[in-house]
Amino acid sequence: MTATLVTDPVIDELIGICGPDNVFADKSSRVNRARVPAPFPVHRWAEHVPDVVVLPTTAEQVSEVVKLANRHRIPVVPRAGGTGLTDGAVPLRQGIVVDVKLMNKILELDLDDRTVTVQPGINMLKLNEELQKYGVIYPDDPASYPCSLVGGRIGTSGWSLIGGRYGHTRDLVISFQIVLPTGELIWVGDGGGRKVRKSSTGYQLKHLFMGHQGTLGIVTEAVLELVPRPEAEFAAFFSYPDYETAWRSTGALARSGLATLAGVVLFDEWKLAYLRRDDEAYIPQPDDVRCVVATAMYGTTDEVRPGAKRLLRIGKDTGGAYLGDEISQGDWASRHDRYATPLHGRLRDGQVVPMSWHCEDASINWTQLPAVREKWHDIVARLGDRFRIFDDWGMFAYTNAAFKPWGDYLTEIDVGIWEQELDDEAWDAWVTAKRDIAAVSIAHGGSISACHGACRAGEVDLVPEEMGGGWDVMKKVKRVLDPLNIMNPGKYLLDQAYEDGPS
Amino acid sequence: MSSTERADGPAGGTEEEFVQEWRNAAYNCYSSGHKFCREVCPVMQVTRNEVHTPTAFHANVVAMEKGLLSIADVARDYVHCTGCGACELRCPNTLFTGDFYRFRTRTVQLVKAVRALAVDQGIHQPGWQRWVEETSRQKSEPVLGGEVPVSQEHVRDWAAGLDLPTGGETILFCDCEGAFHRTSVPRAAAKILKAAGVEFGLMREQWCCGGPAAEMGYVERAKEFARHNVDDWRAVGAKRIIVFDPHDYISFTEDYPNYFGDEFDFEIVLFVELLAELIREGRLPLTNPVDRVVTYHDACRLNKRKGIHAAPREVLRAIPGLTFKDVDHVTQWSYCSGAGGGLPIERPDLTAEISRRRVERAAELDVDTLVSACVWSERPLTEQGGKRADPIEVLDLLEIVALSAGLA
Repeated sequence: MTATLVTDPVIDELIGICGPDNVFADKSSRVNRARVPAPFPVHRWAEHVPDVVVLPTTAEQVSEVVKLANRHRIPVVPRAGGTGLTDGAVPLRQGIVVDVKLMNKILELDLDDRTVTVQPGINMLKLNEELQKYGVIYPDDPASYPCSLVGGRIGTSGWSLIGGRYGHTRDLVISFQIVLPTGELIWVGDGGGRKVRKSSTGYQLKHLFMGHQGTLGIVTEAVLELVPRPEAEFAAFFSYPDYETAWRSTGALARSGLATLAGVVLFDEWKLAYLRRDDEAYIPQPDDVRCVVATAMYGTTDEVRPGAKRLLRIGKDTGGAYLGDEISQGDWASRHDRYATPLHGRLRDGQVVPMSWHCEDASINWTQLPAVREKWHDIVARLGDRFRIFDDWGMFAYTNAAFKPWGDYLTEIDVGIWEQELDDEAWDAWVTAKRDIAAVSIAHGGSISACHGACRAGEVDLVPEEMGGGWDVMKKVKRVLDPLNIMNPGKYLLDQAYEDGPS
Repeated sequence: MSSTERADGPAGGTEEEFVQEWRNAAYNCYSSGHKFCREVCPVMQVTRNEVHTPTAFHANVVAMEKGLLSIADVARDYVHCTGCGACELRCPNTLFTGDFYRFRTRTVQLVKAVRALAVDQGIHQPGWQRWVEETSRQKSEPVLGGEVPVSQEHVRDWAAGLDLPTGGETILFCDCEGAFHRTSVPRAAAKILKAAGVEFGLMREQWCCGGPAAEMGYVERAKEFARHNVDDWRAVGAKRIIVFDPHDYISFTEDYPNYFGDEFDFEIVLFVELLAELIREGRLPLTNPVDRVVTYHDACRLNKRKGIHAAPREVLRAIPGLTFKDVDHVTQWSYCSGAGGGLPIERPDLTAEISRRRVERAAELDVDTLVSACVWSERPLTEQGGKRADPIEVLDLLEIVALSAGLA
């Protein structure tokens, strides 16, 4: 750990801003805000422990903390749920963690113009518990729906399991207030009106401040979309004898044009084998079932009922066998609980060991899925040949786009890692594998990440390649908005923006 | 793989032994990192502080193994748990791997184990230390603001005029809060049993069940209470113990068998389950209409720890005149009174806020009465219910049944 810049007088200033009950410099508070679920090299935990944690309650407090950090040149790392699968919330250079969990109020519910205004520390499940009595919901539905927070969803530009129907975070957040890296508070949206969904005024700044992984500021308030609470949900799971058929069927289902279709999910053979092997909640199917495709629809009963008939017909006509109501409804209902279900994987000799779940994601076009899949499994297989602590848990491909879910897919490969045995050599090999996985995505015309963010070790090295000329723009934006490199420094290779020294 | 065989609660010993015992269980939480537990945790819902989460409670063990934290760094964090068990239910590890590997996330046991380790290492929470010392001195908990002074002399005062025998095959165990504070609950219990023709007696000398001491980390003290109570039951030939307090029910069905093994062969009967049976069989006629609009507060230790949520509802539905606005027991995983796990002693501010929010939920249903089946929850809930502009009264399930049975 480097010598701390957070001295006692700085802590006194922070207490002056946030109050004595909301500033924490004790070891436990700091150690527990160093990590996110995965991937986090547990053997290097000590390197990421921040110097102090603050839990502000107002936007003004956040602004004052950031201004203080600029005065003292102290890194600031925003933290919402800390549930991200990239390392946006991991402090790389210690400093001040601004944890927004206490900012979890609903500020305004507007049932006429269909918006709800919230603070960034609120969770979607909790928000919907309040909203459902008014017949509306906020349909941002990631796997982490019961625990992730609105602020983190914006910071990572999150992806929703039902985004095909309702849109993803960027479509569902109408506008928001953000503290810039120099401490100023501004509102960004599509133009200026806080509840306006579409505008042609000025630059579209909302998108700039989505998915920046904490490098461009801290969201302090957001206006969210409300949709009618769906009357009907329909889920259908189909089985297939081989990947080729399942992949073609996935494409046909996604191109169906059914407006109520919320998503199509393809499970490959490795995923099926893994579920059979180690997921006790998975309802076993005959051995000749090699792949599964899951679909779900939401809307009014009048739309969903006939739509479901057509969806079932497409599934069957393209080689799928309907797996029945129990599997379809049960598996879909437990979609949140079942992300990262396992707390174990296997060594090659079959020995069960506790493993953590690491998920590499990318955006890949439908035509490229089969080739990418082969290459990704090969990379993980080679990794497993060298180190016994890695286990291939198979792949999913989810329809990726909002409202017209046919062109590209959130593609993920799940890898179990026995972290208790992790050392520098295995970690370095893992980082290399991640870089290789990202390189495959780019080579096939895809994008390194569909939903997690691409700032983790390994894959981040290829971000300049993916962005092309846009990478220079990114660096310029970063340097202009954050002249002292205060906001989450070290992330996204953005230190390169300052290579000739701070401006 | 599974650590369930070994990690069986507070064992005492060194930090190293503790870490060895819990490292896999802790890692199983750390490695999944879901944090689904967080928004159902009644404490976390109030403090929003990550160090009060079940995730942190497990991650700390991993950090201790890595030498990043010691028990002294984290002992105070573990005060922030009511032992309600919601996190265990919400944990996908419990939901999806439980059957095959017999694995269950056991945050409540982990919290008890850390508290025990802290006490073993000489790290005390001042309120808990005083509470346990006072309990050891008086043999009952130092229940505050009680109707009768806490001492062995007065432990049966609640039963004045009821003419209850001592001993016999069936013993009614009265917890400390009932004996010294909300005496109407044990009185209702005794009257109900008599009216239904259930023969029972009281203990010769009843001590605290020891559960609170165990929860605060004072395991040896807890065992002393347990030993005394078991010996007293044995001395009067008891075979069956009836308890109305869910906390006692946990002590007798989890802690005592753990302390005594096969020697512990008593049948433990939960009052509310017996009550449902008595009503069902027509042995306790509920004839007086009770003109109230009520909702039921699922006692955490019944609903979340023991899966008991049907019997109390069956009882309420049997009361004539009552309008019962029920809230699903799964929705109530995230509800709590904040009265458990020693929290009201060290953080009464949190208990009050958790109770305030629980009463608020009841108020949204336009009820006049919140019915609970946990005597410990009733003090903070009553306080918060009474503070409202439109007060909500808190009644114990036994109190409201006694009203309907004409026993009040």
